[in-house]
Amino acid sequence: MSDEDTIGAGDRQDLTAAEYVLGVLGAEERRRAEFRIASEPRFAAEVAYWEARLGPLAGAVPAVAPPATVWDGIEARLSASLRAPAERGGIWQSLAFWRTFAIASTALAAASMAGLVYLAQVPSLGPPLLAQLNAESGQASFVAAVNKEGDTLTIVPAALLTGDQQKAFELWLIPPGDKPHSLGLIDPKKPVRITVPESLLPQVNRDAVLAVSLEPPGGSPTGQPTGPVIANGKLASL
Amino acid sequence: MPRAKQRVHLFWAANEAAKPMDAETRRRQLAAAIARVAGGDRAALRLVYSETSAKLFGVCLRILGDRSEAEDVLQDVYLTVWRKAASFDEAVASPITWLVAIARNRSIDRLRSSAGSRAHAPLDAAAEVADEGLSALDRLEIGEDQARLKDCLQELEERQSAAIRSAFLDGFTYEALAMRNRVPLGTMKSWIRRGLLKLRACLER
Repeated sequence: MSDEDTIGAGDRQDLTAAEYVLGVLGAEERRRAEFRIASEPRFAAEVAYWEARLGPLAGAVPAVAPPATVWDGIEARLSASLRAPAERGGIWQSLAFWRTFAIASTALAAASMAGLVYLAQVPSLGPPLLAQLNAESGQASFVAAVNKEGDTLTIVPAALLTGDQQKAFELWLIPPGDKPHSLGLIDPKKPVRITVPESLLPQVNRDAVLAVSLEPPGGSPTGQPTGPVIANGKLASL
Repeated sequence: MPRAKQRVHLFWAANEAAKPMDAETRRRQLAAAIARVAGGDRAALRLVYSETSAKLFGVCLRILGDRSEAEDVLQDVYLTVWRKAASFDEAVASPITWLVAIARNRSIDRLRSSAGSRAHAPLDAAAEVADEGLSALDRLEIGEDQARLKDCLQELEERQSAAIRSAFLDGFTYEALAMRNRVPLGTMKSWIRRGLLKLRACLER
């Protein structure tokens, strides 16, 4: 039986969601799939479809009672940093959480606090759009604010990002149902102001997704994200 | 059961009627608890934890094959539940499906980041556990879907369904599955992709 040629390229494309759910993809492919979950509603729906269909396989796994120390650890970590669920609690709780977090980390704290104070003190920049960019773990990595004209975006690191010094951090705008558009490189250690290119101005609105990917020095050579997506989040009005 | 005494028959009838209702009640309670978690209710998180942690720990343990790693990931799982509870949508997924997906994703990510050096149950183990008795939770939450999935998996070639089970339960990559089965990577991809296509066709019938 010829195993190789019976599945067309179309099917391959179709099955990425299933392969993600099944767990056969490598780390980078998983990041790419998560990027698509955040930016392509159809792909996200397909992932949900396969999770519902394959999920029952977990019924075969015997339940094992975890030790009490697991819950203790959860409680301790909740008390330490998370006063309210970020997604529901809204961006200001997240900022409060982030501020607490950042104060603990010296150099970063100074830079990021400056960013926040800047945002807070310039009334004309009362930001109508905010996004919290979370890592896949749910940890907030960046907070972004768009000024009310929609033409300037400030992005502030919300966590200490350790990583490959050789990589550049590139910011992307993904309008619903569209491909990512580069907003340029950002600095993982300090706030950066970005002037939104005129062609993208109409796209900077609610429900557009911001994402940060790791790219070669100088940024993506292709104009599309080539490296793993380390954080993403949706723009929302206050 | 035509030969059963009336009394016994009634007992079973009552029991059978009670079961699906329990499942529905339990599902609703779990969904309601997750909704309260989204509002920042820690007691609700505790409730979700006590109802589901044994199942999810089993899932993490199976993938990671290491108790202390699994305990660590399980903490991340419930912290993720805490943060993402607001994104839980009952119309899209049942509570247990949503929770299992989080547990599997966290475990697989941990596995991929730790360079995959672990002792692990062989591929055959997936087939062995597939027929193990269901826990109360499974019967209540996913029993019906499980029966249907099992029927459809049985329609696949043995090697296809074994590979799909193993990928799901153990978190193996295509590469790892190919090595374990001593087949070329392309062959393993083909087994799984064709298996998935057939599975989808069967589940949609």
